[in-house]
Amino acid sequence: MLLQVIFSGLATGSIYALVALGLALIYNTTEHVNFAQGEMSMISAFFGFTFFNFIGLSLPIAFLLTLLASAILGIIVERLVIRPAMKAPHFNVFIITLGLSIVLKSSAGFIWSHNDYPYPSIFPDETIAIGSATIDMIGLGNIGMTIVLMIILYVFFKYTKYGTAIRAVSESQNAAALMGINVKQSFSMTWAISFLVAAVAGILMAPVVFLSTHMGLVVINGFAGAILGGWGSIPGAIIGGMLLGVIDNVAPLYLPSQIKNVVPFAVIFFVLVIRPKGIMGVEKFIKV
Amino acid sequence: MPDLVERIITKENTIWFIAVILLLILPLFLGKYTVFLLSLLAVYALVSLGLNLLMGYTGQIAAGHAGFLAIGAYFTALISANVEWLPCLVTLFLAGIFSGAIGFLLGIPILRLKGFYIAMATLAFGVVVSEVILQWSSVTGGDDGFSVPTARIAGFAFDSDFKLFYLIFSVTIVLTILAKNLTKGYIGRAFIALRESEVAAQTIGIDLAKYKTIAFAISAFYTGVAGGLFAYLITFLSPDAFTIELSIDFIAMIVIGGMGSILGSIIGAVILTGMQQVLAGLLDLQILIFGISLIVFMIFMPKGISGMIYDLRDRYSRR
Repeated sequence: MLLQVIFSGLATGSIYALVALGLALIYNTTEHVNFAQGEMSMISAFFGFTFFNFIGLSLPIAFLLTLLASAILGIIVERLVIRPAMKAPHFNVFIITLGLSIVLKSSAGFIWSHNDYPYPSIFPDETIAIGSATIDMIGLGNIGMTIVLMIILYVFFKYTKYGTAIRAVSESQNAAALMGINVKQSFSMTWAISFLVAAVAGILMAPVVFLSTHMGLVVINGFAGAILGGWGSIPGAIIGGMLLGVIDNVAPLYLPSQIKNVVPFAVIFFVLVIRPKGIMGVEKFIKV
Repeated sequence: MPDLVERIITKENTIWFIAVILLLILPLFLGKYTVFLLSLLAVYALVSLGLNLLMGYTGQIAAGHAGFLAIGAYFTALISANVEWLPCLVTLFLAGIFSGAIGFLLGIPILRLKGFYIAMATLAFGVVVSEVILQWSSVTGGDDGFSVPTARIAGFAFDSDFKLFYLIFSVTIVLTILAKNLTKGYIGRAFIALRESEVAAQTIGIDLAKYKTIAFAISAFYTGVAGGLFAYLITFLSPDAFTIELSIDFIAMIVIGGMGSILGSIIGAVILTGMQQVLAGLLDLQILIFGISLIVFMIFMPKGISGMIYDLRDRYSRR
C-alpha cells in the first residue's frame, strides 16, 4: 500500500518538479520570480486541446505544435511585459507576473470557458502489476518524460553555446555582457525554455486532473517544491518537487484526508520558518 | 486657539473637509443599494490603507490579506453572537487587536524572510486561515456560513444600511486620519526607510525587527477592523468569500491606486468597488482588466494614479 502511494506521489511530484524547474530557470537567469508559471502550463495544455480537438491533428503532431507555440508565446511575453521592466525592482516584476497570471487565466476563460475537459494522454491508460503494487502507465510515463526532459536540459545548458551563455548571465549579467554575451537574448531564450517546460508540465498534468482554467493553481505546489528543495537550485527544484508529491500523497494516509488541501501551504510555511534555504539551497549574502 | 484652528484648516485639508461633509450628507439623497456600495467602498478603503502601510510604505509583499479580513469578520461575528451586551465599537476594536496580534505573531517568523518569500508565506497564511474556518465548523459554521447579528451600541441597533453607513464611515474616517498621521511621523518614516533599503535603514539605527513586526501588526489591525465592518455590512459570512483571488484584488487595488499613498489607497478602493459593480456579471472581463492594469501600471506608472496626480500637481504649482 505504502509503496503504491509513494509511486503515485512520485508521479504527481514529477509534475510539481517541472513547475519548480521552470520557476528556478527564470529565477536563476533573470532573478525574477514568475507567479504565472502555473498559468503558462494551463494555457499550453489548452493550445494542445485546440490543436487535436478543434483542428483535428493527431496527438504527437498536436503536442509538438503546442511546444512550439508555447515557446513563441514565451518570447512574446518576455518582450512585451518583462523586458520593459528589466531595470525595475524585483518587487515590480513580481507584481507584473501576478498580473500576467490573472490575464492568462481570464483570457483562457473567455476562449475556452471554465469547464473541465477530459484530456488524452500520450501514454496508454493501462496498469501493470509489480509485486503487490499496481502501477499505471500514465504515472510511469510522466516520471519517465520528466527524467528525459531533465537530461535534455542538462545537455543543453552544459554543452551548447546558448546554454553556456545563459549560465554565464545567471552568474553575473554585467560580466556576461562584457564578454560579448547578448543578455537580452539570453533572457528571452530563458523565458522560451521555461514556457516549454511549462507546456510539458501542462500536457502531462491535464490527463490526470482534467483540463480546466483552474489548473494554474499548481504554481503553488511548484513554489512549495522549489522552496522545499532550496530556492534557486535546479537539482533542489527537482528533488523538492518529487518530495512534495510524495508528502502530498502520503499525508492523507496518516492524517485527516482534508489535509491534502493545505499540504503545499504547510510545507511553504514550515520550510520558510525552520530552514528558509531548503534542502539544497545556499545562503545568499546581500551586497550594498 | 486660533493657531490650532489655522493648523487644522489648511488649504490642503479644506478639500478633505468638503469631501467628508459631502459624504455625510450624500446618503440622504441616495437609494439603499448605493448607500450599501458606499459602505463597501469604505470597508475596502480600510483594507487598502492597511495593506498599503505594509506593502506601499514598508515594501513587504503581502498576498494573504483576505485571511486577516476573514479573521476580523469571524471574530466580530462570534463576539456579537455570544457577548450581546458589548457595544459594537468595542467589538470592532477587539477584532482589530486580535487580528493585529496574529499579524504580529506572523511577522516574527517572516523576519527571517526576504522579498518574494514573504509573499509566499503570507499567501500560505491566507489559505490556511480560510481552511481553518472551513474545518472548524463547530465554531464557525464551516461550509454552512455564519449569520452575523446586528451591530448595537447600548440600546441602539444599526439595523439598516443607512445607519450602518454612518458607523462604517466614522470608523473609516478616524482610521484614515490616524494612518495619515502615522505615515508622517517617526514610525511612518522608519517604514519608508526600510522599504528603500533595509541595510541602510539599519545603519542609521532603525530597529528592523521592531518596525517590520509593527508594520505587520498595524496592517492586520486595519484589515481586522475592516473585516468586522464587512461582517456587519454583508450580514452573512461564508469561508469561500475569502479567497486568494480576493487577496490579489487587494494588491491590484493599491497598485492601481498608488502604493505608499493614503490618497492612493482610497482611489484604489473606489476603483475596486466600481469595477465590481460595473462588471458584476462579467467576472472574467473584470479580472482581465485588473491583470492588464497591474502590468501596465507596474511598467509605466509604478506610483499608481495618486502618484500621477501628485506629479501633475507638482508640475502645475512649479509654474
